[in-house]
Amino acid sequence: MRKVWSLVWKDLLVEFRGREFLGAMVVFALITIVTLNFAFDLIRGDREAPGAGGLWIAFLFAGMLGLGRSLAVERDRGTLEGLTLCPVDAGTIFLGKFISNVLFIVIVQAVSLPVFYALYNLPSLRPMVFLIALVGAVGFAGLGTLFSAVAASSRAREILMPLLLFPLAIPLVIGTVRATTLIFQGESGDAWPWFNLLAAFDVIFVTLSYVVFDLVLEE
Amino acid sequence: MMQRNPAGRSDTLVQGLGLLTVAVLTLGIFMAFVYAPTDRDQGDAQRIFYIHVPMAWLAYLAMGVVLVGSVGYMWKRSERMDRLARSSAELGFLFTTLVLITGSLWGRPIWNTWWQWEARLTTTLVLWFIFIGYFMVRAYAGDRERGARYAAVLGIIGAIDVPIIHQSVKWWRTLHPEPIVLDTGGPNLPDSMLATLVVCFIGFTLLYAYLLVQKTRVEWARDMLAERELTALLSPATDATDRRVAGSVTHEVSGAAED
Amino acid sequence: MDDNLGYLFAAFAVTWLAIAGYLLYVGQQVKTLRDEVRMLEDGDDAVR
Repeated sequence: MRKVWSLVWKDLLVEFRGREFLGAMVVFALITIVTLNFAFDLIRGDREAPGAGGLWIAFLFAGMLGLGRSLAVERDRGTLEGLTLCPVDAGTIFLGKFISNVLFIVIVQAVSLPVFYALYNLPSLRPMVFLIALVGAVGFAGLGTLFSAVAASSRAREILMPLLLFPLAIPLVIGTVRATTLIFQGESGDAWPWFNLLAAFDVIFVTLSYVVFDLVLEE
Repeated sequence: MMQRNPAGRSDTLVQGLGLLTVAVLTLGIFMAFVYAPTDRDQGDAQRIFYIHVPMAWLAYLAMGVVLVGSVGYMWKRSERMDRLARSSAELGFLFTTLVLITGSLWGRPIWNTWWQWEARLTTTLVLWFIFIGYFMVRAYAGDRERGARYAAVLGIIGAIDVPIIHQSVKWWRTLHPEPIVLDTGGPNLPDSMLATLVVCFIGFTLLYAYLLVQKTRVEWARDMLAERELTALLSPATDATDRRVAGSVTHEVSGAAED
Repeated sequence: MDDNLGYLFAAFAVTWLAIAGYLLYVGQQVKTLRDEVRMLEDGDDAVR
């Protein structure tokens, strides 16, 4: 378990020293959130649903950016081979990458939610929103870590990862957006069933990705 | 290095399967067009149901077989399992495409719309993309072995995700109920319709089984030849090996050539 | 009602065309295999 944390720490160090992509992720999320204003009418009428949807589009695309970059950078630098030479099993490598990715996505969310609130006056700072954001991030990072590894070694990595990830992440999108909409509408209580779906999804797919990661790293 | 043909059936059995498929399907089509009564509400367009529903079953059955093959490959790194998975994926893609097209052609005259975002159709559309992803992953992976591994990943995750996707869409849709689409009579299906449906079900399932057997054989032969070419590149092969490979491949190839 | 027949035939036609197309595709793969096998055998004869 300690190995996992050292992997996570390594990723964090690399990121904060090199400023590879976390900054880009955050900026991308923010610019998407601003663009929402021009794509949807978030001023009058039923703003909660498009607002929630737009917010999560921002998270998904920013997350995609980070996930794609994270393993691509490793591969380009050759550090991925270095990792496979370490006496750690594939599952540990997965966990390390997975936790780092969750952290990065959560950081993006933590910056985005206050900004979203300020711009649109939608209650994105309610604790329930944070909870949903977290379960969404966990599920997305779980599958995303797996598929960014799959896509990383291919020529078409930028297009391949979203193509693989988006269909599979549909339950995440449905759950998070519906839950967030309900919270924005003041009906947080109704969001709990969606939370359960998301939590179940997370458990199933993080576990599966951990088990299956073995297939990805053999070289 | 030589593997026995994994299909393991004798040629006559497969031929028999093929003939049986043709027989049952012919019966099924006849029943669908002539025997089954015309639906009161939907008219003759409803007969598309006799293709659409079995196709949907096959699409998901094929995905199930992909799951089996992918798990088998992950567990044992068995080439045979990978052949099973990718052959079934091809068929699954074919059938999924047909489900979507026949579904549209059925829905349009009845509901005046080419598409409905209800749970089953939506899940089938997602399944379609998963199959595409399956082949893209293989194509872009760089080498066959890696392609097989990555495809197995998608096969496993995708197959397990499909029911979850279906449930999520269903729960979402219960918030915005829509007219129940593409159902005929439901539990009160008249016997003649039910019989037609069952025959078509069996016929198409036989078709899937037959195509799967043929396809896996062809894939085996391709694998053997690819291996042979690789060996030739790396070292001069002996005549004996060549002739042995050529002989067995010819045997499989002629077996697979029957339609 | 008659319009609906058009859709019915379209659906059946697409289905059978697709299946036939797939069979042709597999047939093409078989043909390619035969050709490669022939090349192998010819290669053998040439070596000898």
